Amino acid sequence: MRDVYIASSSMINISRHFNRGYKELAGAVVKDVVEGASVEQLDYMVVSSMLAESSLNQLDLATILTQHLGLKPMPAIRVDTGESSGLAAVEIAYSLITAGRADTVLVVGVEKATEFPTRVTNRFLSKVLDYEVEVLRNITPPNYAALIMKEYMKKYRVSREELTVWPVKMHDNALRNPYAQLKFKITPSKVLNAIKISEPITLYDMFPIGDGAAALILASSRVARKSGKEVLLVRDVVSATSRPLYLRDDITRFESLATLISMLRRKYGFRIDDAVCEIHDSYSIYAYIILEELGIARRGASYKEVENLVYVNVSGGLKARGHPFGATGVYQVSEVYNVMVKGVGGVKFDGAFGLTHSMSGPDYNSRLCLLERVV
Amino acid sequence: MRSSISIFWRRKDSYYKVLLTRCKRCGRASFFARDVCPYCGSSDVSIVKSSGRGRVVSYTVSYFRTDSNEEYLPLVIALVRLDEGVYVTGELRDVEPAEVREGMEVEAVLRRYSSDDPYGLIYYGLKFIPVIKRC
Amino acid sequence: MKLGMDAGIVGWGVYIPRKRIKVKEIAELWGFDTGLVSSLRIEEKSVADIDEDSVTMGWYAAKVAIDRGEVNPNEIGAIFFGTESKPYAVKPSATIVGDALGISRRKLSSDLEFACRAGGEGLRISVSLISSKAVKYSLAIGSDTAQANPGDVLELTASSGAAAFLIGPEREAIAVFEGAVTYVTDTPDFWRRDCSRYPSHGEIFTGEPAYFDHIVNSVNILLTDLGLKESDFKYAIFHQPNGKFPLQVGKLLGFPKEKVLPGLVTPMIGNTYNASALIGFARVLEQARAGDRILLVTFGSGAGSDAFSIVVKEGVEQVASRGPTVNELLERKVYVSYSSYAKSRRLIERSIGW
Repeated sequence: MRDVYIASSSMINISRHFNRGYKELAGAVVKDVVEGASVEQLDYMVVSSMLAESSLNQLDLATILTQHLGLKPMPAIRVDTGESSGLAAVEIAYSLITAGRADTVLVVGVEKATEFPTRVTNRFLSKVLDYEVEVLRNITPPNYAALIMKEYMKKYRVSREELTVWPVKMHDNALRNPYAQLKFKITPSKVLNAIKISEPITLYDMFPIGDGAAALILASSRVARKSGKEVLLVRDVVSATSRPLYLRDDITRFESLATLISMLRRKYGFRIDDAVCEIHDSYSIYAYIILEELGIARRGASYKEVENLVYVNVSGGLKARGHPFGATGVYQVSEVYNVMVKGVGGVKFDGAFGLTHSMSGPDYNSRLCLLERVV
Repeated sequence: MRSSISIFWRRKDSYYKVLLTRCKRCGRASFFARDVCPYCGSSDVSIVKSSGRGRVVSYTVSYFRTDSNEEYLPLVIALVRLDEGVYVTGELRDVEPAEVREGMEVEAVLRRYSSDDPYGLIYYGLKFIPVIKRC
Repeated sequence: MKLGMDAGIVGWGVYIPRKRIKVKEIAELWGFDTGLVSSLRIEEKSVADIDEDSVTMGWYAAKVAIDRGEVNPNEIGAIFFGTESKPYAVKPSATIVGDALGISRRKLSSDLEFACRAGGEGLRISVSLISSKAVKYSLAIGSDTAQANPGDVLELTASSGAAAFLIGPEREAIAVFEGAVTYVTDTPDFWRRDCSRYPSHGEIFTGEPAYFDHIVNSVNILLTDLGLKESDFKYAIFHQPNGKFPLQVGKLLGFPKEKVLPGLVTPMIGNTYNASALIGFARVLEQARAGDRILLVTFGSGAGSDAFSIVVKEGVEQVASRGPTVNELLERKVYVSYSSYAKSRRLIERSIGW
């Protein structure tokens, strides 16, 4: 199988970009990433966006973007796997190169989540759940986060207060990230006393709504060698789906994530302590469960270990960096790339591996991207 | 019009009744009528009607606002274990959020899920309420 | 007219929404002397929640009726849905209830409108269908989320509730219809124009020429047809727009208070329009004994009245125990403020926005 490298990456700050549409956001990162990659040509573009039809009133986003950006005619495709769309775009790009269908692939994640009032965007984003079974019956994603959090607290006898450590930590981390949406410190009492979203979940247990765009250029070793980019290898991108919440035997477990991480461990013999990670903490309870599934923390005890985690969500995570849905997975890979290659806000990771985790809903699907340092 | 009339109409039996998919291969029963078992993928399934009665396993009081639920907020969303042993999530009505208790006996009743106000369709379906009378 | 005693009540069910508002609060808000509340003899009224309407309440009542009757829904050949608060101006409520309860697709089904007596007409049609053996069972539902213009005196009484009666062959019934009379005229005491939200009414004109005249006529004809007198009846239930009229009309016809009060529910829940007399009747069935003769009298503006003579059979207590009783539903309540009531009944004008 052919090796795949990250040739360059680009991000813009996540914010309410009222004066810029998706074309401008995507345009900014595409220009930047192309300049950074020093590749002769692009063979393929993979675009990810979760809300294009709903929020942008746009079908075939990939074609429209190539037209708008004046890109040379090339195959362009848009992918949607809900909240994990960004990492799905990376997965497709990786597959195109390993399969020999392309040597350089432009990956663009873009989301405009602020084109409508929050209550409308909330309806759009709820559709990551099963519309016919869940959404039409008035169930929304934070309801599941709440049910899972209550079950977790009961099962492991953890208090609501003890579970404030994650969002506090994420806000601290985001202070160092120039691209983060929420750059202010919070305290446990601020988390507890914030407005309730779906009790016990409060506003500070949940991602903010923001616009963003991030881009990557993935290249085969043939191309990467020429431009001296054989630095960070995309070792693998794997994904799996799982059952809806009401069909789970244990709602405090993320089964598809568990399957994926054990697959990577088996296949590459990598240890989680050797990795810098970006995980999908759309709700703080999900962070604790993800840490446990990844083997970073013991079950029911992850909140005790959050304080000491240096190399998990250096970016501030979905909680504080933000969650521009279809772009998030691309941000995560860019962030791990930066922290392994250049360092972010004084944090540099010199270990061998980088891991990003992206999912949709409560692990309705999960994706893992394993990056490995070559030099 | 925010919802589709044909999507709703096609599945209305699953909104008007608590239907379960019982798999003859793996033996498990699951919420909602499907033509395949969501556990094992077998098509050898039968659709059975639940009594609609069960107990609250867990619940949340939701303030998450969408432009189709805002009239109804706050919502109580409960995880219910039906008498048939199957789990289902759904709205719990006719109880003050502060009075919901785990273990509370509930029954399914017809209510409005939402409506495409003021000219569109009204989407009816079952929600849970505390049991009015054990019969 | 005298009936063949071959059709009767196989099951019945009632629904009263849980929310109640004190009528005094409404009166005070709109500047009525609270003395008016006591003269209307009505303490509180039931309020359907924001996700409830005539269809959902009618569904519950019908479900209990089927449960009580222990019949296979697929054997029900007709549904008549009496209401003046249809969720849809055009689109039958009866088919929603029918499909939701798994009732046969081969059924007659209509929404009936005759102000507050459409439910009563549904009963008459059902009895005829059973007597003629056209269908095996027929479901007559009366259900309303009664509308009233905020600040109108009608708002002190207009409330929400439903009742359903499953009519079937005499051998399966716990009470049979002995006679029925319908008396209707063109009397403009109360109306609601097409597309108007709230009804208009003739206020004092709704009394003597409408309510009293039609009820007195239907009852007198029934008594004559059947050769019965007031003392032959254990209970009398009259349509109850307030707590006062049923007692007055009873007195006029020679029925003492003791025979009227058991079926008088309006003081506790308000006027549920098409369910009004029917909920009272259900409450009486739940305390009746075999051999009791019951007078049931509906009234609807526009105007008309049905009078029924019903004789209770053995087994009524057992059937009653298979579902929530009216008294149990009366006890299930929570008080709400005027603002909560206004939101629940969509009295607050709201723009949907974009």
